[in-house]
Amino acid sequence: MKSLTADQLSKWTMRYGVRPGATAGFFVLVAFLWTLLFQHAIAYPYLFLFYGAVMGSAWFGGILAGFFAVILSSVIIAFFFVPPFLSMTVAEPSQTYFAAFIFSAIAMTLVSSALRRSETAVRNARDQLEAKVQERTAELQQSNLDLLESGRRLRMLTDAIPQQMWSANADGIIEYCNQHLIDYIGSPVEGALEKAFSSFLHSVDKRVFCQVWRSALETGKAFEVEARILSSNGSYRWFLIRSIPQLSADGTIARWYGIHIDIEQQYRAQQGLIQAQDELARLSRLLSMGELAASIAHELNQPLTAVVTHAYACRLWLRANPANIERAADTADKIVQESTRASAVVARVRALFRKDEPIRETRDLNSLIQGLVRLLRDEAIRRNVSIELVLAEDLPKADLDPVQIQQVFLNLAINAMDAMAEASEPRQLTIRTIKQADSMIQMTVEDRGTGLTPEAAVRMFEPFFSTKANGTGMGLAICRSIIEAHDGRIWATESAGGGTVFHITLPVRS
Amino acid sequence: MTKQGHNKNADQQTVFIVDDDASIRDGLSNLLEALGMNAEQYSSAEMFFERWDSTRSGCLLLDVRLPGMTGVEFQEKMLRAGSTLPIIFMTAHGDIPMVRKVMKSGAIEFLTKPFPKEELLHAIGQAFTIDRNRRREERIFNSIRVRAASLTEREREVMSMVTSGMLNKQIAAELNLSEIMVKLHRRHVMEKMGAESLADLVKLSERIKMP
Repeated sequence: MKSLTADQLSKWTMRYGVRPGATAGFFVLVAFLWTLLFQHAIAYPYLFLFYGAVMGSAWFGGILAGFFAVILSSVIIAFFFVPPFLSMTVAEPSQTYFAAFIFSAIAMTLVSSALRRSETAVRNARDQLEAKVQERTAELQQSNLDLLESGRRLRMLTDAIPQQMWSANADGIIEYCNQHLIDYIGSPVEGALEKAFSSFLHSVDKRVFCQVWRSALETGKAFEVEARILSSNGSYRWFLIRSIPQLSADGTIARWYGIHIDIEQQYRAQQGLIQAQDELARLSRLLSMGELAASIAHELNQPLTAVVTHAYACRLWLRANPANIERAADTADKIVQESTRASAVVARVRALFRKDEPIRETRDLNSLIQGLVRLLRDEAIRRNVSIELVLAEDLPKADLDPVQIQQVFLNLAINAMDAMAEASEPRQLTIRTIKQADSMIQMTVEDRGTGLTPEAAVRMFEPFFSTKANGTGMGLAICRSIIEAHDGRIWATESAGGGTVFHITLPVRS
Repeated sequence: MTKQGHNKNADQQTVFIVDDDASIRDGLSNLLEALGMNAEQYSSAEMFFERWDSTRSGCLLLDVRLPGMTGVEFQEKMLRAGSTLPIIFMTAHGDIPMVRKVMKSGAIEFLTKPFPKEELLHAIGQAFTIDRNRRREERIFNSIRVRAASLTEREREVMSMVTSGMLNKQIAAELNLSEIMVKLHRRHVMEKMGAESLADLVKLSERIKMP
């Protein structure tokens, strides 16, 4: 109360004095005037109008106004309407009635103000609720807008990334693909992913992709595949197709997301590198062969030159008149000597290339071939060749030098792929193993190439014979010498498909 | 033919074979002997250089690849030492850049082993002719120089004026001599130089390039 300022004091006075006082005064005045007017028409009219004043004051002005109204009404009733009139005293017969009036008026004040309070509370609660609802509605609208905006932003982002993207549901049905993918393919990608992709993947890559996709659907693991995709302009480009699954809360796959990264440039660069490497390897092989050949040629040339000059001399000694038999005989000895020297050079060269003790291991030809086909796979894909294996079951094992036999096989397989380089598709390389009746096993390598020229058919196993621009002409000659060292045979026939079949027979382990 | 060879025994031509491979040397010298030629064997370039006698006529039959010194280096060394001996190269390698180089430096022929007898003989014949002509030239040159050396100072003056086309009268005026004296000197010059005509004298003087 000490800190009560004048302003607060006036507010307080207003709230608890003036306002309830005025309200009570107004209602009691109205009741008084009407009671004055009707007091002679109705018996004891003073009561119910004042009840109304008390009730209205309590309702509109609160409990304080109610009490003010009770006091005012009591004073006015006592003064004007209870005998003796115009006196504050209350006559004996009216005292009970007057007291009842005061009690009922107080009770009415309490009830009315309580009612009013509860009504106000209900209205307040309703108003609050309404405000809350409005607030929530506004929030919801905002979050809806945000969601739309972020969806739009995400789409813009996926369209801004210069890669092709898609998503598919757990069953592999495409749900979304970005504009880049649509533009590249030339039409929207819809329906089952496997079917849709089959329509624009390169026929060779299609098989690989479908395999990987199916196993991904089963295992739920992310995957990467390199494949050629057909563009709307009719050309293929290499892409890295990468897909990851989105897991739902219970660990099952909810969705697959895919992205296609254009790797055409890298692929070309890589191919260029591989070619350059091949070229380098071939060149260095040719160079070392060239040097070897030069040194062998020099080694042989010396004694041969001596032989030739001695032979000329020998003829001259014999033709001289008279013939110089002694010198001729000496010279003939020299010829023998030098020829022997030449053949020693040849023997040395051969010893250089020959292993004294041949290696023989008991091996299964089928597994040797399977191991090599794994190595050849990349090369085959690069050259667009499919390799078919038709391997005989229960093929007997053979004693062989695995490295040499693999060398023969590689040589034939690469030759077959070379032969199909110019051929139209399908480029198929078929490798068969066959168990023969006469304790021999046979392997064939069949291509669908252009076949052999009549000259090549006759001379292909000769050393230094080659139909390739940069061939050494040693490949098949070496193959033959290896197979013959294994007591086997190698030959070639025309294939029913127009290409060539190379046949190799090897004896079964005795 | 043999007779001629014996008659010219003094400048009998020799094929000097330089090759590190004894069997090649042996074969070549056997063949050349059978053909009635002189052949000598040397196993290295150094060995030949030590025993070299510049007065001996003939040609070198040289392997391009020799231990210690390549055929080309040897060719240059011989040229620097004033040798005019023609060189025939032999190789077991078809070494084109080397062929170009040695041919530029004046080699007669480049033979790839083994070579036919005819090619060898043709090359040797060519080399012998070149060497013989060169040596003859040299001899003539030397004799002219000897004759020119026997001229007196005055005779040399007269000769240079005569060969440059001056008349006797002009020479007499130039040297302050009588025309008769000029004629006398002129006859001595002709006699000493062994020239039969003015044209002869001009040729001889040009050969030794006397001032």
